[in-house]
Amino acid sequence: MDRGAGRRAGEGRHERDPRGRRRGQGELEAQVLSVLRLSSGPATAAWVQERLDGDLAYTTVMTILSRLLAKGAVTRERLGRAFVWQAASDEAGLAALRMRRVLDGETDREAVLASFVTALSPDDERLLRGLLHEASDMPAGPEVTGTEQAPEG
Amino acid sequence: MGVFVFLPLVLPLTAWPVARLAEQHLHPRSATRLLAGVAAVLAVCSTLCLALIMVVGTAQLPGNPLPDGWSDPEVRAAVPYDEVAGKAAIPALLAVAVAGGRTLWRHLRVRRRATRALAGLPGSPVAVLPDSAPYAYALPSRRPGRGRIVVSTAMLARLDSRERRALFAHERAHLTGRHHRYLLAVQLAARANPFLLPLRTATEFCAERWADEEAARAVGDRRATARAVGKAALVTGGAPLAGLASFAAPGPVPRRVAALLGPGPPARSLPPALTPAGLATLVAAAGTLASALSSVNATVALFLVLHAATPL
Repeated sequence: MDRGAGRRAGEGRHERDPRGRRRGQGELEAQVLSVLRLSSGPATAAWVQERLDGDLAYTTVMTILSRLLAKGAVTRERLGRAFVWQAASDEAGLAALRMRRVLDGETDREAVLASFVTALSPDDERLLRGLLHEASDMPAGPEVTGTEQAPEG
Repeated sequence: MGVFVFLPLVLPLTAWPVARLAEQHLHPRSATRLLAGVAAVLAVCSTLCLALIMVVGTAQLPGNPLPDGWSDPEVRAAVPYDEVAGKAAIPALLAVAVAGGRTLWRHLRVRRRATRALAGLPGSPVAVLPDSAPYAYALPSRRPGRGRIVVSTAMLARLDSRERRALFAHERAHLTGRHHRYLLAVQLAARANPFLLPLRTATEFCAERWADEEAARAVGDRRATARAVGKAALVTGGAPLAGLASFAAPGPVPRRVAALLGPGPPARSLPPALTPAGLATLVAAAGTLASALSSVNATVALFLVLHAATPL
């Protein structure tokens, strides 16, 4: 049953993407990850290969798994002479990891992707806080200062 | 052709006043279209004239690939070329071609890579990515209606439901309005002639304002839209992109928020002629027309001279 579900998901993706090869890599990564997520525990590459759309070579599966490992989307551990693999994120997580690489790699992405907002200068920030204070029905202070800043002290 | 061939290189200056005034006095939609259109025409004319000057300049070089007849003394007499300008036009045109090509290539590469990063996700119009970095942007697609909004969970977590709706409406406005085409056009234009840089900045600002206004209309709440823009900028603003200097003048985001807190933009698409904005529009239109006419004049003149000089 797991097997059938994996197949159907894979076929669906192929149908949606008839242009094929160049986008294939991302598709394959997502497929391998989704198959791996069907496994209840750690799985071998052979197990993954068996449940994929048939025409993938074992080495290809290994390559894709290594690529996913480099992105942090899967983990592996040694079991005897082989590795067993486990999914560390879902498809959306994988997409997020890939997107971060795109965004971090492009210094002038602002020029390309119509971003919601652009960078602020310190003066802008002060001005903006004043405007937000004016605009908000609720306190704008601590909520917008960003939770990522390290706690002080 | 005479001095007219040099005019399109400096006529972009006539568009500076309208770049400044259109932001304040026109509806952002009309302003974006007007500025992008003016910038595109001026850039094409400027590049065309650079190419004409280059032809004249290249014909003087020994060993050039052009027909010998083009460097006849008679042709030289008919085409008032300047030794320096003719030769300087060669590297200038090369620089324009390289810069434009790079801009276009980079644009397509970012789009391609971002689209590929989303491969394997269901093809819904909104892709929510679990990421601790706050970001939101519109990823255009070649096929209309297939563009996607990419937003991280960190960004959504900072906004309340109204503000989220404003954010989505803003990005949807970018996609349905095909704003990336205007942005790409003005970026290429600014590469073709640096005098067009203020037009690029103004167009980018107007496109954002256009999407802001659409969002405010869709959500029916200008203040919530203003809050969404402001909050999003504050959570992303901590890490400005490397290489971006901070300017003393208020940046685009505070001006966008202030505009949203004010009344809506005027509905009319063109300002009355006797206001500063109207006059600036007329000046820009006249400059664009003069640029186009000079280019045509120079092209026809050079074509006729060279046609006469080419042995057939």
